[in-house]
Amino acid sequence: MSEMTANASSIRSGVSVRLLSGMGILATLLVVAALISLTMGPVEISVLNVTSILLSNVGLDLIPFTVSEELIVEELRLPRILVGAIVGMALGVAGTTMQAVFRNPMAEPGIIGVSAGGAVGAVLSITFGLNDLFFLALPLFAFIGSMGSALLVYGIALMGGYFSISTLLLAGVAVSAFLAAIVSLVIVLVPNNEGLREILFWLAGGLDSRSWEHVQISFPIILSGCLVIVGMSRELNLLMLGNDDARSLGVRIALVRPVLIIISALITGVAVAVSGTIAFVGLVVPHTLRLVFGPDHRVLLPMSAVGGALFLVLADTMARMIAQPAEIRVGIVTAFFGAPFFVGLLILNRKHTGVL
Amino acid sequence: MRLTGLAILGLVVVVFLALFAIIYGIQRSSGGNLPGSFEGLAEEGSTTGTTRDLWSLDEIVFDSVPQILDPSNRGWPRTIRGIGGPVVISKKPERIITASVGHDELTLALVPAHRLVGVGQVSKNPLYSNISDRVQDITIITRDPEVILKQNPDIVVTSPFLDREIVNALSNVGLTVVTTALTTDLRSQINNILLLGYIYGEENRALSLAREIQSRYQDVSETIKQIPIDLRPRVAVLTSYSDKIWTAGTGSTEGAIIDLAGGVNVAAEAGIVSNNTISVESVIAMSPEVIIIPMPNPQAVNLKNRLLANPVLGSVPAIKSSRVFPVSSTYFTTLSFWNILGIEQLAALLWPNDYQNYTAKGFSLP
Repeated sequence: MSEMTANASSIRSGVSVRLLSGMGILATLLVVAALISLTMGPVEISVLNVTSILLSNVGLDLIPFTVSEELIVEELRLPRILVGAIVGMALGVAGTTMQAVFRNPMAEPGIIGVSAGGAVGAVLSITFGLNDLFFLALPLFAFIGSMGSALLVYGIALMGGYFSISTLLLAGVAVSAFLAAIVSLVIVLVPNNEGLREILFWLAGGLDSRSWEHVQISFPIILSGCLVIVGMSRELNLLMLGNDDARSLGVRIALVRPVLIIISALITGVAVAVSGTIAFVGLVVPHTLRLVFGPDHRVLLPMSAVGGALFLVLADTMARMIAQPAEIRVGIVTAFFGAPFFVGLLILNRKHTGVL
Repeated sequence: MRLTGLAILGLVVVVFLALFAIIYGIQRSSGGNLPGSFEGLAEEGSTTGTTRDLWSLDEIVFDSVPQILDPSNRGWPRTIRGIGGPVVISKKPERIITASVGHDELTLALVPAHRLVGVGQVSKNPLYSNISDRVQDITIITRDPEVILKQNPDIVVTSPFLDREIVNALSNVGLTVVTTALTTDLRSQINNILLLGYIYGEENRALSLAREIQSRYQDVSETIKQIPIDLRPRVAVLTSYSDKIWTAGTGSTEGAIIDLAGGVNVAAEAGIVSNNTISVESVIAMSPEVIIIPMPNPQAVNLKNRLLANPVLGSVPAIKSSRVFPVSSTYFTTLSFWNILGIEQLAALLWPNDYQNYTAKGFSLP
């Protein structure tokens, strides 16, 4: 018994070491990336000035800066970087969760129609000028679309009185296809070129014009959702063993799985609402970190949160700078890097496991 | 930690950092600015140069229109060169279909309305068309060739944006289809008036209209041609759709109008091509002295109020001096002679002393 206790203690301390060291590295990289990103933009603001502006908020005065510089850093760049980090965190955690719940390495946050539903809400809002109603109309309609779609898919999977994972997956595919057809129809019928381009821009995902209001509406929900999911890391580990084993080890699958799916859909829906559809974050980040930190969700989930934030902040910075003064959409950058990387992972996995 | 995974993670980070270093290196080597970024181009003092091209316009004659292969032939059939190649027009067209707003506007200035038997839906929209009130009773045509054929037209005149497959389908059933480009520069606009006049057999009307337009352009150019470029107002075109801000750079209709009205298009100066979205920060970096908003009301007024109320934009000269002007969207976005009204409207804003009591005047339409 004492040997078992010692083993358990050793495993826990190993987890803690990996978690702390990994979090330390990724968090440091995230802070550095955010600081670099704060210095980049059409208006040249030096690193010293940016640092001085940030430190002035805690009462420290380094060097003088102009009001314009302060406003640019604090009202334009900082909220955008924060939204990028928050969205990246949501997509990273949701992707990791979906892969565990469905026991499918190809699962990603939009698998149950969240992204497609958000797209429908957004394009309808753009096409019918609903954005002119109030400032956050577009995120609101995108969120309604996301959650409506997720609930529809989940409802289909529950039909007949029992829940089926395969039905959920297939319903997600079917509903996503249907909603994509609606988006295509709207694109064909949209009456003006500006609306058409706006829709295409939204579908490619972007963080431009993000404000503190976007931070306020996304951060509490996404942080709460991520914390709940991280708190269920043990259950996620056990779900990876299969339903029977998980059940025999005390996991209440009928409760745990829907909670995980719904919370993942919720945080993804909020992310889609404030940033559009950004692909590959939920695939690339979990798989990369799984290779480094292992499959234990007690480590992987927090890593995915910070790793997702880091990935998206870097991608958005690149999207802002590469075609300056115009911007390319961040979804293009994540797909541009994510797709080849994912192919590389597949090849690596085949070599490693010999599995097709 | 697993070494393979760590190596992959490290590779990803190195790739990102390398790309940043490349961007930073390019920035440093170009004098502290990315190619196309704001300060570098401002130092060059560049403009599009179209203003200078205007002042040497030749006498308006059909011989100067390259698409008219035999200007001396005023009979039928006559041959012109469209974008797709030579087109023979066998007789004077009495049933004309046009498939772009610009072509609709040009056509209605040259022929009586009863000869135009089909227009695109956009031409009926007063937000985008200067002739919407005159085409409400005309049949709407779509991209479906059968809908076009149903109107039994003698000729279809369109822009290059109509799919090549549709043009081929119409040509295959014996319809005369002419594809001509609509551009922003004055010379091309004059040539388009003459070309369409020749196509429709309305040569005298085309000459009259072309000279009328040129005369009005020259009135504006006389006002501004002595003003050095570095003293010309820096102008930005801003529009907003959804939560995005759009601007118009090089090659855009709005940009050409700024040039011809004697302004400097700050978006073109910054390297923006055509119409594109920009960030609020880019507006600050462009530092315009005048902002024009070619949108319909109330959207134009709403955007103006948003811009003036945004504290982040407080350092922008146009915001400080409240030189933010909604202007008529149809004058600034169409690709026809109606742009002259946009030029005159903007010139009146930029040079108020020379345009006191300015009021927009129309054209001598049939």
